[in-house]
Amino acid sequence: MARAEDAPSPEGDAEERRLIDRSAAGDQEAFRQLVIRHHRLVINVAFRALGELSLAEDVAQEVFLKVYKALPGYRHEKPFKHWLHRVAANAVTDALRRRRPVVSLDGMAQPPASRESDPMDVATRHDLQKAVRQAIASLPSHYRDTIALQAFGELSYEEIAKTLDVPLGTVMSRLNGAKRLLRERLGDLVYGEEANTG
Amino acid sequence: MLSHATARDWLIPYADGMLAADERRRIDGHIAGCAACAAELREVRELNLLLVTLPPAPPTSVAPFWLKLQAILPQRRTLRIPTFIGYRRVGLAFAVASIAVLAAAATAFAAPSALPDNPLYPVKLFEEDVHLALSAANDRVSVQLQQAGERLREAQAMAANHKPRLAESSLRAYTIMVDDVAVSLKSPTTPKANKDALHALRARLGAVERENANRDDDVAAIKQLVAAAVDELDRIEQQESATPPTLVVGEQATPDPTPVVTPKPTPRATPTDDGDRHEHRD
Repeated sequence: MARAEDAPSPEGDAEERRLIDRSAAGDQEAFRQLVIRHHRLVINVAFRALGELSLAEDVAQEVFLKVYKALPGYRHEKPFKHWLHRVAANAVTDALRRRRPVVSLDGMAQPPASRESDPMDVATRHDLQKAVRQAIASLPSHYRDTIALQAFGELSYEEIAKTLDVPLGTVMSRLNGAKRLLRERLGDLVYGEEANTG
Repeated sequence: MLSHATARDWLIPYADGMLAADERRRIDGHIAGCAACAAELREVRELNLLLVTLPPAPPTSVAPFWLKLQAILPQRRTLRIPTFIGYRRVGLAFAVASIAVLAAAATAFAAPSALPDNPLYPVKLFEEDVHLALSAANDRVSVQLQQAGERLREAQAMAANHKPRLAESSLRAYTIMVDDVAVSLKSPTTPKANKDALHALRARLGAVERENANRDDDVAAIKQLVAAAVDELDRIEQQESATPPTLVVGEQATPDPTPVVTPKPTPRATPTDDGDRHEHRD
């Protein structure tokens, strides 16, 4: 989702560009500064996708490592943050796919979540979130990459289009397809009998 | 008049706030008289709610994160320091002297065999970095292979100690080190020694795998990392590929088994100054 406070100032842009160039040249102190700037973003994406902090931190390590290794080839034509989102989305969906067999959607038919905050509801919501993550992992790659940026990266349609370098209409089409499949695969788990009969 | 099928196709972009005002009005009109579409819209909104309420991570400290990351960052082959040449020489001399002093101090205190769960482990990694940085160019490959073997020894020990996360971290560090050294191995200066070192790594990978398999709660990720590492060793030994691994961004490596489903009709992109466009979090 577009957030005004995320928009970098021209000075911030120039500083980030300097940090990127120095990191690409092997300056680990500059890269440390980049990590400090974007650590929260990557950890949040990974945690939303995986739901466990230790796993999220491992995947975040992978993301920054890939970024560090790929920085010499990075060109400033595209905002660094978009590129980072893309690397992070790929890493978390790969991690999700590696964990897919852990949870079976078929075995999770439970009552739909209520809005109340009792412990049972919290547990149910936790299971629902787990099921949603696994359902996203099971999507075809073009759907998975796109909806991961929306659900885990909290990007708007426009930001997703820029990040993936595709037209806005393609993003709309992919999200449409992804959510249709998610609804099919989650079925009663999310909507419950009430919705099905309504 | 909007058909039922068209209205259904537009429900998801409608719920995401991606339709223009006139399109929204047409959907509103249809939903008012169509119970099925109204129910489906509720389901779409339930799903959206679930997607946007995936919680963010709890607060974490970046310092230990960086320390762990720094330990596995590969060394760049050339470090460019954009300063005056005179200062550069002085700076390099100072850096070498500092590294030597720090290395000596670290050697005094850190056990060379420290494992990842030991507080002295970061010092050990620092020592390794210093060792590598000070190695002669023709010794670098053997030093890197030796350090990669050490990561495997750590992975085996951590697997045996029921610390799978640390075992995975050591395996990942190993993978990165082997990636880094793979290019040099394609034109080896000491082929026999390298071959022996690769054999030793393969044996150690087998030991990690066995240690993991011996546990009742063996970890799939460790198994996968070991399998990938063995494949990489095969690849290096056969020298089939002449290019180093590159980062795949945007597209997954696996082929997409499902054809693209294009909604009918495709929702139209609306001008960016339309406030409706930013309301996709219904």
